[in-house]
Amino acid sequence: MKAMALNVLLAIVLLAFVVLPQSAEARINVVTLPGRDAVQLTIYNSVDVTLVKETRLLTFRKGMNRLEFSWANTLIDPTSVEFRAVTHGDDVDVLDVSFPPRVTNTLEWRINSDFAGEVQVEIRYFTSGISWSADYLAEAARNEKLMNLAGHVRITNNSGEDYENAQVRLVVGVIRLVEEIAELARAGRPGPVLTASVTAPAALAFRGLVRDKISEAEEHMAKKPREIVKEGLSEYFLYTVEGRDTIPNGWSKRLPSFTAADVPVTSFYKYEREQWGDQVMRYYRFTNSTPSKLGNEPLPDGAVKAFRFVTDDKLYSFVGSTGVKYIPVNEQVDLELGRDLEVLVKPALMNWEKTDLQFDNNAEVKGWTTKESWLMEVQNSKEIDIVLDIRRNLSGDWSVETEASNEKIDATKIKFVLPLKPRQKQTFSYTVTTRHGTNATR
Amino acid sequence: MKRLISTLVFVTTLTVEARIKLVALPERARVVVSLNNPEATLVEEERLITLQKGVNKVDFSWRGVNIDSTSIQARMLSHGDNVTILNTSYPPNENALIWEINSNEAQEERVRISYLLSGLTREVTYKAVAEPNETALTLRNYLRLRNESGEDLSNAEIGIGYGSDFKKTIENGETLEMLSERIEALRINKILTWDAATLPWDPEYEKKTVGIPLSYVIKNDKESKLGLHTMLPGKVRIFIKTKEQPEKQGGPVGEGVAFTGEDWAQLTPVDREMKLYIGQSRDVKVTQRKTRDDRTNIRRNSGNTVVVNDTDELYKIEVENFKKQPIDLVLVEHIPGYWKMVESSHKFEKKDAFTIEYRLALPAESSGAKKTTVTFNLNRLNVQGNEPTSY
Repeated sequence: MKAMALNVLLAIVLLAFVVLPQSAEARINVVTLPGRDAVQLTIYNSVDVTLVKETRLLTFRKGMNRLEFSWANTLIDPTSVEFRAVTHGDDVDVLDVSFPPRVTNTLEWRINSDFAGEVQVEIRYFTSGISWSADYLAEAARNEKLMNLAGHVRITNNSGEDYENAQVRLVVGVIRLVEEIAELARAGRPGPVLTASVTAPAALAFRGLVRDKISEAEEHMAKKPREIVKEGLSEYFLYTVEGRDTIPNGWSKRLPSFTAADVPVTSFYKYEREQWGDQVMRYYRFTNSTPSKLGNEPLPDGAVKAFRFVTDDKLYSFVGSTGVKYIPVNEQVDLELGRDLEVLVKPALMNWEKTDLQFDNNAEVKGWTTKESWLMEVQNSKEIDIVLDIRRNLSGDWSVETEASNEKIDATKIKFVLPLKPRQKQTFSYTVTTRHGTNATR
Repeated sequence: MKRLISTLVFVTTLTVEARIKLVALPERARVVVSLNNPEATLVEEERLITLQKGVNKVDFSWRGVNIDSTSIQARMLSHGDNVTILNTSYPPNENALIWEINSNEAQEERVRISYLLSGLTREVTYKAVAEPNETALTLRNYLRLRNESGEDLSNAEIGIGYGSDFKKTIENGETLEMLSERIEALRINKILTWDAATLPWDPEYEKKTVGIPLSYVIKNDKESKLGLHTMLPGKVRIFIKTKEQPEKQGGPVGEGVAFTGEDWAQLTPVDREMKLYIGQSRDVKVTQRKTRDDRTNIRRNSGNTVVVNDTDELYKIEVENFKKQPIDLVLVEHIPGYWKMVESSHKFEKKDAFTIEYRLALPAESSGAKKTTVTFNLNRLNVQGNEPTSY
C-alpha cells in the first residue's frame, strides 16, 4: 500500500538538543509523536489559502519543553504557523520559535510549562493547494416556468497532505492576500523566497493508526447527505459542512449543499446586436429570494448546467452550461445558456432621410437631421411562453418615436420587452430622429 | 465496453490502491441519446444496480471516451425517496468517480446516469427531386450520425429535437444515415434573381453569356406540408425528373433523374422561406441603363464647390426571356441615402431603406419586340456623398 500523504509531523523533543549540525537526521529525537485529535479546514475560494486548525493532546513536563513541527512535501506557509495551549493556557508559554539552520519545513517551539501533564494544544497555519468551488444543477419543467435548483460544493485537495477526518468550512467571499501562500510555502521558512529548490528531508510516516476507526465512524453516520450550515460573517459567508470528511491528497469530493424545488423561472431571451451579433441569447431568469423558494443564503459563483425535462419519465434535454456570478440574497439572476436558434429577431431599416440642412457663413453644411425608420420582426418558434428583451444602441442627440412600449436605459440605449406566446410572430416599428452638427442640442 | 460502472463491495480506505473495483458489472437497461442541442450530445443510460442496506460505493469510470466529467450525474429511478447520493469523490489522475449512496433497504435500483459526450455528431442533408415543370418537388430530409465517441451505442433511443425518437444501434466509428422526413409534392417557386450590385448592367460588353442566378424557394409552412419545426442548415442536392430512353426499342419509357445543382440550406424557422441558389439561367437577358443622371438644387459653398445637391435619375431595364416557358424574375436595385421615387413603370417592393425589388412574371419567348421594359425615375435628396448604403 502506498504511503499516505501525511507529512505534517509534530514531535516532542525529549532529549537536549544533540548537536550534530551537519546532519538533519540528528534532529529526529522523537519519542512520542502525538496524532491529530481534530482538524478543521477553512477553505477560501477567492484566493488559494486554507486555514488549518489542528488540535492535539500533548504531555508536557514542568519546565522547558521543545516541540518540533515539520511539514515536508506540503504547501504550508511557514510564516503562518501558530501555537496555542487550549487548556492550561496560563501555565504554558511559548518562549520562542526557531527555524533551525540547514533544514527546511521545520520549526521548533521552546515552551515553558508550569504544569506537568496533558495539555490540549491548537496549531494553526495556512496552506495552499486546497480549493473549493460551487456548482449548480438546474432542472426546468417542460414549460420552463418552474425549475429545481441544486447546489453542490466540490473540494479539491492538492496540498500534499491528507487531512483526515476534518471539519470542513468554506468561505464565500473575497479576501486580500499581499503574498501568495504557495510562494511563501516554497521558501520553507520565513524570509525571502529561495530560488534554488531545497530537497526536503523525507518525512516520517508514523501515522495511519486511527484510520479504520475513522472509516467506521463515517460509515455509521453517513445515512443522509451532510447538511451544510450557512452563516454570515462580516462581508463573507461561512459554510460549515456537517460532520467530518477525509479528502486524501489528489482527490476531490463533491457534496450536496442545497436543493430547492419549484423555483419560479422565466425563459428569458436577449437581443443586442452590439453584444452578440444577430444571435438571440437564452437565459433562465430567477431571483434568489424566499418567495422563489431560495434566499436562505447568497449563492457563490460557480458553474451551472441546465437541463429541461422533456418526457413524463423526466428524460433530459440539455439546455446549456454557464458560469454564474455571486448572487446576493434577493438579487435577480440571468443564467446565460447560449444562443437559441428558435427565437428570431430581425431588424430592418426601412427608411432613411436627411433633412433640415443648415449652412454656415461659408455656405458649408453645419447642421443636419437624420430620421431612421426601423421595422423589427420577432418570432418565437418554441412551444413555450418566452420573454424577449431587445436593446437598441443609439448615439448623438436622438429621440425615438414608437407605439411600442419601451424603456430608455441610458443616454445611448433603449429596450423593448415583449412577452411572446408559443409560435407567436410580431412586428413593431420605431423611428429615430438624430440631430447632427449645429442641429444637435445635446 | 469502454465504460464501467461497478459496485464497490470492500473498501477500507480511500487511497487509489485500496479501491477494489468491480464485482458485478451492471448491464445497461436503456440508452437515450439527445442531439437536440447542437453544442453538446447528452447521453442518458439506465442501469440496474444492487444496493446493500447502508452506504454503498458505486464506481463509474471511463476510458477511451471523452466524457465531460463535470456533467455526470445519477438519478435514482426506483426508490428515489430512500436511496440518496451522499457525496461524489474524484480520484486523482483517473477518469472515474465514486458515488457514496445510502440505501434504506437491500434492493435493486434503477439508476439513470447522464453525461455530455463528445464525438457524436449529427448533420442534416436534404435531397430533392423536382417535377419536370419545376412547380413541386419531393423533399427528403436525412439525418447523418457520426459516432467517433469511442462508445458503441446499442439499441439507443435517439432524439434530434423534432419528430419522434428512433431506436438505432450505432457502433464506434460508424456513420449512419437515416431518412427522417419525406414530403411529397412540396410546392416550390422557381425564381431568377438579377442583382444590380453584382451582375453586369450591359451584357453586350461581356465576353461570356451572363448567367442569372436560379433559385428554388421553399416556404416552411403548413401550406407546403411543412411548418412543423425549424428547418436545420445542411446541404441540399436537387435533382429533376427526366424521361429515359427505353431499354429496347418500342419498350416503355423509363424514369430517371438529372442533377440540377446544390446549395447550403440556411436555418429556416417556421413560416419563413428557404432560398436555394442552385445554378444559373442563360436564357434570360437583363440590360440595365441609367438614362438620366442630373444634379439639381445645387448648393455651393463660398469657394463655389458643390456641397449639397439633389439628383434626377432615370433607369431603364430591358428583360428578354428566350425560353419557351414563362419564368419569374426578381430585379434587385440598390439606392443609397435619402431618396424618393418619382415614377415607376411597375410595382416595386421596398425591402429596406436602400433596396427595392421588382418581381416580374416574364412571358414565354418574350424577347425582341416582346421584351419586358421597366423604367423608374427617382430623386436623391440632400446628397453630400457620405450617405449610407447599408445598415
